[in-house]
Amino acid sequence: MDTPTVVSVKDVKKTYGKPNEKQYTALKGVTFDVKQGEFVGIMGASGSGKSTLLNILSTLDQPTAGQVKINGQAINGLKGNELADFRAKEIGFMFQDFNLLENLTAYENMALPLTLQNVGGKKVRDLVTSIAKTLSIDSLLNKYPTELSGGQKQRVSAARALVHNPAILFGDEPTGALDSKSAKELLDTMAQLNEEQRVSILLVTHDPFSASYCQRILFIKDGQIGQELVHGDKSREAFYQDILDTLGTFNH
Amino acid sequence: MLLKLSLTGIKGRLKDYLVLFSGLIMASAIFYMFEALAINKSFITSNSPVSMAGFVFQIGSVLLGIITLVYIIYANNFLMSMRRRDYGMFMMLGAKGRKIAQLIAAETLVIGTAATLIGTALGVGLTQIVSNLLLSQMDIQIEHFSPFYLPAVLVTLIFFIVLFIIAAVVNQFQLLKTPVLQLLRDDQQPNRVSQNKLGRIGQIIFGLLFLVVGYYMMIKVATFQMMGLVVALVTIVLGTYFLFNAFFGWVITLLKQNSKIRNRGLNNFTLAQLSFRIKDYTKMLALVAILFALALGAITVGIGYQSEIPEMAETMAPYDVVLNQPNQEALRLTKDLKGVKATANYDVKEDAKAVYYRATQLKKTPIMAVQLSEGSGVVRAKGVKPVTLSAIQAGDTSALQAIQVPSQFSKTVKVVSDATFNQVAGAATQIKTYRVKDFATNLAIIKKLHAQQVIANPELAKGDGAAMDRSKYANYKLANSMFSGLEFMGFFLGIAFLAMLASCLMFKILSGAASDVKRYTMLAKIGTRRKLLQQSIAKEIGVLFLLPGIVGIIHVLFGLQLFKTIMINPYHDLWIPFSIFIVLYAIYYVLTTWLYKGIVLKEVK
Repeated sequence: MDTPTVVSVKDVKKTYGKPNEKQYTALKGVTFDVKQGEFVGIMGASGSGKSTLLNILSTLDQPTAGQVKINGQAINGLKGNELADFRAKEIGFMFQDFNLLENLTAYENMALPLTLQNVGGKKVRDLVTSIAKTLSIDSLLNKYPTELSGGQKQRVSAARALVHNPAILFGDEPTGALDSKSAKELLDTMAQLNEEQRVSILLVTHDPFSASYCQRILFIKDGQIGQELVHGDKSREAFYQDILDTLGTFNH
Repeated sequence: MLLKLSLTGIKGRLKDYLVLFSGLIMASAIFYMFEALAINKSFITSNSPVSMAGFVFQIGSVLLGIITLVYIIYANNFLMSMRRRDYGMFMMLGAKGRKIAQLIAAETLVIGTAATLIGTALGVGLTQIVSNLLLSQMDIQIEHFSPFYLPAVLVTLIFFIVLFIIAAVVNQFQLLKTPVLQLLRDDQQPNRVSQNKLGRIGQIIFGLLFLVVGYYMMIKVATFQMMGLVVALVTIVLGTYFLFNAFFGWVITLLKQNSKIRNRGLNNFTLAQLSFRIKDYTKMLALVAILFALALGAITVGIGYQSEIPEMAETMAPYDVVLNQPNQEALRLTKDLKGVKATANYDVKEDAKAVYYRATQLKKTPIMAVQLSEGSGVVRAKGVKPVTLSAIQAGDTSALQAIQVPSQFSKTVKVVSDATFNQVAGAATQIKTYRVKDFATNLAIIKKLHAQQVIANPELAKGDGAAMDRSKYANYKLANSMFSGLEFMGFFLGIAFLAMLASCLMFKILSGAASDVKRYTMLAKIGTRRKLLQQSIAKEIGVLFLLPGIVGIIHVLFGLQLFKTIMINPYHDLWIPFSIFIVLYAIYYVLTTWLYKGIVLKEVK
């Protein structure tokens, strides 16, 4: 049986600057797919184009050429409200700096994507409590972000990203601002979510340790995908070593 | 080099600087506008029958000074919040503290002085426009008033420049004491003040109690006099403060507990923004509410005097027009009177000692007298009632003065039969009386008719004769000259206060906008419709404008009680000042929302 594709990227190009000025091409034709239930990593050095790619995937930016489909829907033509609704339904976000609203409690932060779609009160409570249990933050629901540690904040952020059951979870260096212990805990949780709940995840990172949790890693360099590494049956430690080796040769 | 850096910094934030700059210009323009009136002693003394007016203006000056100070502090915070990062960067690049201090001083002072100069010039123009507008709209006469008044210019310049020097010093001090690292990463977090339930309930009870006491003092001002005023002032200010500090926060908590409201769209976020705002804004909102009340009260009383003038004239004369020996021109003019309710004709003959009237005429169309209200408070006209012939014959002839010219007042009144009347020597003169529905709408014609009366009866133009003129128009003119100065002051005071308080509120809201950018950007990223964000902003700012507005209006409704002792009806036609005021206030609201959206809602493609 064929697993459905949640993210399909076809020959995406992105050029900055007006045609008559000096132009800079950040993406020079990128093509890849993410199947449902996959945990894919994208690695690359600064300036490789990985942020541009993520911005396009998360509909914050438009590609100059090429096509992006998320959950079967082309996102190129979406505008205004369609775009906002699409983001609210199909995409979950985790940011490096959490981006929680400091004036809302953890519970309220998590409920936000649901209330945006005017989901009923009881259903909101059920969904939020259940995702909070999954991420073991159910004791923190009434706290404000300033009362939480970095790791806790990122869990709340993950819960907010997942509460509306999006087609895909995008992570933009979610461990970037965490200490190593919190980072490991978060990654374990993400891997667990991926395995048990079949959550599709696309993780952008330049940290080899984070990347070692992925099933598949795409290496991006100068706006193109240069190499692909598959986890397969290897242990995580062996995969980590593979990544380090690839990085050692790939970036130069 | 640093100067160049500083200038490019300003260029990059041109829009924010424009907001700041225009705000400061407005502040100084309004301040000048007010001072032009407030410190013009010859204007105040020549236009006000009340000796308190000078005192009122001094209080007004102090209040405006305080609110200007608050305004400058907010504006300055806004300026510094824009520049902190840049200054931090300069310091990291190795700029010496002294150099930075110079830069701050230069920037604050240059911006401040330029804004004050432009603002004062604008203030002269604004004063001209506002005073012309008021003069042409209201049939007002004022003397000793000119838009350009040198002492006011000096006071404005000195006041503002001193404020900016203080601001510059405070800025330097604060900036140089803050560690560079903090300047660079100045992520503001909303300060969440936790409040215990008991304290909150206590504050609500105290707040309401204070307000009740204050209102009671104003209602019973006749009993408590000056003491009551002072108590009211203190309790109302305190009550308003507690109300904002506790009551509204409590209402928002209640709203947040309602899951129907909470779970729709961005309501939860909007409420959260508000509950943080209100705590942060408590003092500000309380101040705005009080000023709102003062401004609205000033305009209401101003307009109240406007409608007071005809009412006042009403108590003095039963007829709108009385024509003694009408000439052709006067008779022609009377045809233009609108809504004539009643007219009457009387024949008069007089000799050296007596004035003769026909009994038949006085019986057929009795002389009218003003019926005055009874009881406490200001005397007002309830209407007119006929004076019976028998009362006049019994000796009560004072009502007849309404149709006499002053030289007849001291003569004996003789009401006689037609036969006797015909036998009295001399020619009979005619008197015509008119009562119209609305004195004010006929004012232009009545004014012309009065001029004709003066031509027909020259004694009305001279000395005692003019002072004893019993016509309604003469009374109207007298009341008008007495009150139009007050009216003008009320309007002026009201508009200056309104402009200032609304600018202040606007600035406070806008200066917080920078820290909201991140929140709104994030909301857009997780898929909030733009429209929903705009609605949330409109609601949030709307509540911040609405709350002090409502509280202010309630204050005014009670405050008008104070004027019951000196005005016939302070609540007359209340909707006029209220609508003028609300429209102006609404314009400020729309402007603030628009500017706020411009800062906060970045285009997300």
